Amino acid sequence: MDKLVYSFPATKKVNKRAHVGVVGSGDLEVLIEPTNDQKTVVEIRTGITGFQDTWKKVVERFVSQHDISALITINDFGATPGVVSIRLAQAAEVVTNDIIHY
Amino acid sequence: MTLFITESLVENLARERAFQLLDQDSAYEILGPFDRLESPHLAAQNIVPQYDDGMVIVKGTLNGKPTVVISIEGNFQGGGIGEVSGAKFAGALEKVLKECKQGNIIYPVIIYDTGGVRLQEANYGLLSIAEISAAIVELRNYVPVVGVIPGKIGSFGGMSLTAGLCSALIMTREGRLGMNGPEVVEQEAGLRELDARNKQLIWQMIGGAIRKETLLADLIVEDDVSKFKEGIIKIWDGEIPLQHRTEKYNEFLKLFKSLSIEDKISPEQAKEILLNMNAVEDTELSIPTEIVNSRGRKWFDLLTNGQPSISEVPSVLVADSFINGIKARFIAVVPNKENKYYRARNGEVGLLEGWAIAKYVREAIEEDAASNEKRLIVPIVDVPSQAFGYHEELFGIYLSCSAAVDAYATARIAGHPIVATLVGNAISGAFLSHGMQANRLIALNDQGVNVHVMSKQSAAIITQRSIRDLDEIAKSVPSMAYDIQSFNKLGALYQLLDEVNADEPAEVDKNRLIEQIVNAYEDIKSDGIRDLSCRLKSEKAISYGRKASIKAREMIDLQWK
Repeated sequence: MDKLVYSFPATKKVNKRAHVGVVGSGDLEVLIEPTNDQKTVVEIRTGITGFQDTWKKVVERFVSQHDISALITINDFGATPGVVSIRLAQAAEVVTNDIIHY
Repeated sequence: MTLFITESLVENLARERAFQLLDQDSAYEILGPFDRLESPHLAAQNIVPQYDDGMVIVKGTLNGKPTVVISIEGNFQGGGIGEVSGAKFAGALEKVLKECKQGNIIYPVIIYDTGGVRLQEANYGLLSIAEISAAIVELRNYVPVVGVIPGKIGSFGGMSLTAGLCSALIMTREGRLGMNGPEVVEQEAGLRELDARNKQLIWQMIGGAIRKETLLADLIVEDDVSKFKEGIIKIWDGEIPLQHRTEKYNEFLKLFKSLSIEDKISPEQAKEILLNMNAVEDTELSIPTEIVNSRGRKWFDLLTNGQPSISEVPSVLVADSFINGIKARFIAVVPNKENKYYRARNGEVGLLEGWAIAKYVREAIEEDAASNEKRLIVPIVDVPSQAFGYHEELFGIYLSCSAAVDAYATARIAGHPIVATLVGNAISGAFLSHGMQANRLIALNDQGVNVHVMSKQSAAIITQRSIRDLDEIAKSVPSMAYDIQSFNKLGALYQLLDEVNADEPAEVDKNRLIEQIVNAYEDIKSDGIRDLSCRLKSEKAISYGRKASIKAREMIDLQWK
């Protein structure tokens, strides 16, 4: 099991939390929770080891599209980068309905 | 033009399913993913956990009635029951029971999607399933417990025993209900016994349609949320009469005594047989010519002073005897090399054995019904497993085991002290059926006393690990180990008895065990508690063995509104 943590600066605060997905074959669960820090922290646990570079790219792409300060937690059971991106987008959609602007 | 819109339940995840069944905006989740109460045992094995441990508890109303839906996530670890998920399940039912006892009727609905015990946590699954079973049996006195088996997985393993205990079952055609999954039957009994790849046959054997047609399930519905809801309401309203199947030991025992499985019985034939079971003539089982002197038999003979068994099933020994002036019923499951159910010749709990246990426990309950002095019941546990076989699944071995569980739990709730003595193997569904419902568990500290959920070979195949890996993991995760010292760390044993000759017991060994049985009996009498809560209150359970089980229950209590 690999544990990965990424942190990025962020500006937009969210006031909702979201949970999507399941830790099942080829899938993952994503939790997004509001934080007060102006950054996004992404914590990942994955059973598929050795894909740090891929994870980094997927997360960077997500953060570049969604500027939200939040704690994002991921439990992964072998999802492809495509599935990861879709799940992240799904969760982001739930939390960004009423974004608070600083 | 009429527009038909259906809303699928089957296609959704456990959380969505639970909310779908409840009235809109009435429901809230208890111990959801943000509470992050995950399994502490999976990460220790390098397996990614899930924050709700695959068990979803949602409280709300259904058709205006207070309802708790317990929904198992089949996509996470095959819906397997581990310590946290099991404690969430049992804890929610225990909380509902408490409310019902106070006059606040809350209706429990269980959505099954599970392979049974989570093999990566093994004995925690066993302990949890025993606690879930105990709660269902007691709850049924207050409120119907409705089980829903929508598929895709179905309900298997120890969880099929709890499904058998439900007041009523709703299934879809896609749902399956059986004890041993087809792959495990094939692994344990061989390809000739059952070809697990023959999907058509599997659904003909254990699918929702056949279970309903043979009256083992109450309702079959199309995969549409409104249909599930209608079904649940019909059961609550009494439109579908409750069958109390686990109490029908006379009918089922008569059937299985007369049944011949010399030629393979097809699912079609089985259906006819089950539908006409009331017309079956009572037949006697032949007495075995060769006696296997198993541990269970030796201890049975010793503890009963050689009393003859009153049981009509040779592989189940039953006798009443006195120990220190206390009347006690002793029950043992023993090998019978001539058992016509050839998959149950080594002391396994099979179709006959489960129902026979149910009969002799229930008879003791009835005989003592008018008396204040409820007789002590002592299951002598030396059981290698449940029976893995084609006919066993076809004819619902899960229900035979449910019947045994139900009988023991009912006896315990009625005030019969039950002290199980583990003198040999205590494995899986057999142990759940025979021993696990006891108020107290006593085990001999001996290499031949093992507690587990599956043979190492099968466990390795199902979890896709090597036997060497499993042995290595067992060193740090005691619930995965087979030996009785590891099981003792979980805190469920009342006594682990040293220096007793388990294999060749003599008078001195007998006296040591009797002394402990009497101690346990006095302990049960003095605390007066009739549930299984003492397993969570022992020093070992609190300090180490059941920490997560206790925490889950505390958190349910806090979040309950």
